[in-house]
Amino acid sequence: MPEFLLGAAAFVLGTVALGLMRLLRGPGHADRMLSAQLLGTGGVGALLLLGVATGVGAIAEVALLLALLAAFASVAFVSGIQRSDGRGPPSATAPAAADSPGEHRRETA
Amino acid sequence: MRLALDILTIVAVSLGAIFFLAGTVGLLRFPDTLTRLHALTKADNLGLGLVVLGLLPQVSGPLSALALLAVWLLALLSGSTVGQLLAGKAAVPDPDRAPTLTPGAGASHD
Amino acid sequence: MASSKAAAMPLIRAALARGVGFLGFWLLLAGPSLGQSTATGVTTDLAAGLAVGLLAAVVATWVSLRLLPPAPGRLRLTALARLARHFLWQSIVAGFDVARRAFDPRLPLKPGDLAFPTRFPPGTGRAAFGAITSLMPGTLPVGTDDHDRLVFHCLDLDQPITAGLARDEALVMGVRRNGSDRDA
Repeated sequence: MPEFLLGAAAFVLGTVALGLMRLLRGPGHADRMLSAQLLGTGGVGALLLLGVATGVGAIAEVALLLALLAAFASVAFVSGIQRSDGRGPPSATAPAAADSPGEHRRETA
Repeated sequence: MRLALDILTIVAVSLGAIFFLAGTVGLLRFPDTLTRLHALTKADNLGLGLVVLGLLPQVSGPLSALALLAVWLLALLSGSTVGQLLAGKAAVPDPDRAPTLTPGAGASHD
Repeated sequence: MASSKAAAMPLIRAALARGVGFLGFWLLLAGPSLGQSTATGVTTDLAAGLAVGLLAAVVATWVSLRLLPPAPGRLRLTALARLARHFLWQSIVAGFDVARRAFDPRLPLKPGDLAFPTRFPPGTGRAAFGAITSLMPGTLPVGTDDHDRLVFHCLDLDQPITAGLARDEALVMGVRRNGSDRDA
């Protein structure tokens, strides 16, 4: 079974590497960011497989860290673009973000 | 019993790997940013879910199994939130994008 | 004054519930390595580990209360279970759908935008609805239009997308009674 899991980990890693071609091609910044997102999910999958195959439990923690980093990278990308644009996003989460400081002030007053 | 669980692992992990491949193929073949994002979020989340499902019978105890599920849940949560954020970003025209390189950029708004 | 005291109670309840949840989650993730240190009998390691976990849970609770104030209304567990089942099944369908289109040599896509007049007011409920629908077959929320309708990018406009979205919306709305209907 470890051999099979190692093979599967290598395969998933291979698909991630293939997906990184989108990083080279672009054309937009968002397209390149998709590759980073793929590296996040695919990397987590490969690491989990590797961790169970080798029996090294700490690898699962590396997987967790990678998932967090991928999410932070994308959030930083999106919020960085917004700031340099100087205009709000059309995203559904924007009103929620705009609401919460107001609510917070109401509670502390 | 052991054999049945091993078969479950092999089937689920193989299927998961195929969905990872589908996500990559979609990312490379789909015509514009938003359709690529569809491929990435949906196929990869299912792929990761199947890999986790396949690994469940192979870990030592119920606590490790729960931890695996927790990793998957976190990835699901961040994947769906980030996908939505990136979609909002991709929907507005990208000022940094060179216009000569975007033959398929208008396709999403036909 | 009396009203602010009455308003503080749900806040404390929410803080406690979330704190316990975060601590449990941390224990779950750190569990294997903590178990190792109890087996070897190194108790200072264990105490230090637990202290870090406690600190992390407190900080996480504080951040979550700041970013996501507790909403009024009760969580309905049966509705949540129904939503979870629907969500799991539909995300499997979504994965197969996207994989089929990606592997098909003809690349059968009919992408386009679709406006959906949602009943969710802007806020947490709408964000949750967006996150869930982004993993449903063929839909991806990209924002709101001038008429406060949610705009979805779709992989295939020929599919019955609006009906599916309405069903998702009803399921998400059922989870928190009165919670998402409050006026901002």
